[in-house]
Amino acid sequence: MTKLTHIDSKGQAHMVDVSGKALTARSATACASIKMRPETLEMIMTERHAKGDVLATARIAGIQAAKRTSDLIPLCHPLMLSKVSVEFEADPELPGMRVYATCKLAGQTGVEMEALTSVSVAALTLYDMCKAVDKHMVIGEIQVLEKRGGKSGDWSLGAEESTIPVDVLPISSALEKASDQNIRVRFFAHLREQVQRDECVLNCHELPIDATVSDVIQGLVAQDACLAQAFANESLLVAVNQTMVDRNAQVHPGDEVAFFPPVTGG
Amino acid sequence: MIRIRVQPEVFNAGQEIDAITHARSDIGAVVNFIGYVRDFNERPDVVALTLEHYPGMTEQSLQEIAKSAQERWPLEAITIIHRIGRLTPGDPIVLVAVASAHRQAAFDACNFVMDYLKTQAPFWKKEHSRSGDYWVAARHSDSDAVRRWENANE
Repeated sequence: MTKLTHIDSKGQAHMVDVSGKALTARSATACASIKMRPETLEMIMTERHAKGDVLATARIAGIQAAKRTSDLIPLCHPLMLSKVSVEFEADPELPGMRVYATCKLAGQTGVEMEALTSVSVAALTLYDMCKAVDKHMVIGEIQVLEKRGGKSGDWSLGAEESTIPVDVLPISSALEKASDQNIRVRFFAHLREQVQRDECVLNCHELPIDATVSDVIQGLVAQDACLAQAFANESLLVAVNQTMVDRNAQVHPGDEVAFFPPVTGG
Repeated sequence: MIRIRVQPEVFNAGQEIDAITHARSDIGAVVNFIGYVRDFNERPDVVALTLEHYPGMTEQSLQEIAKSAQERWPLEAITIIHRIGRLTPGDPIVLVAVASAHRQAAFDACNFVMDYLKTQAPFWKKEHSRSGDYWVAARHSDSDAVRRWENANE
């Protein structure tokens, strides 16, 4: 069973020592939603609000909040974030706004707490900016959508088999669509150990049309130094949808691409 | 008939041959190969090995190797069993049993299946020796063995 990493053997809270962990490129994306009256949403989108540009203010709040996460969450490490982006999406069906935050760094610990804090504070700022016109706004559905890098590898909400019925999963339709556009990349044996992950997901938007295995390799190499180093080995074999192919073979959205060293069975 | 199994459990070669020949009087020859874990390989003191594989692709790949053998020789049956997980020296790893009306086809097909299994089926061995763990490197002699069949085809 997975243990709570912030609790030590005596059951007391402690900050995890990450000094022995490898420095890897990490990123995390979180989202939050804020329900509001359609008129309030309309007001934000047409920038007719008395307090000025609501979204620009909430965006800055989200960025500032990500940087202050370790001040707010007791056992969080202070991090040197290399990027924080905060985006908003108007969803007339909610009705309301969806907030997405992506945090990146090269470091020894994950950045999902920063992304979660960022969307939370951006949503609170939206509330603050609009409370004069709408007191019934509801902030909800704050969750991590995707995590990349680190020992536990890549994770995304859409790619995971969930025990929660799909119809109550508050994933935005845009992100759901994105998951069909993904290529599942798997690693085996020595390569798996080298890249420190069993698999990862490559978004097809990052690849050219008529992409080949070589393009997938280029996309992976661009992701982090660990992958770049592993793919310098030219003897690696590749299988697309579980059939061995060469590097000129075409890759399509939804394909499973596996890389591995020459086989040694028998 | 093609039988493919990938399993951690030990197999019984006698039972597998009986399963092939049971109630058949047209089989004139069964050739089988059994591979065992050695206590010496790249390093002299191997204490165990762990076999990793690519579930799904492994079975598919063995099935295809068996099919190509059937296309090449008149065969009555092929059984391929490959073990996975942790094995120790002396443990059987792989069984290939091939049945035909005549011995030459059975001998050749058994050889062919092993040569292709060694270079195509997604299995990887990590050996545990007294001086540490390491992933076994592929042998050139194995790819040379496969090339022999490819050249014979032309």
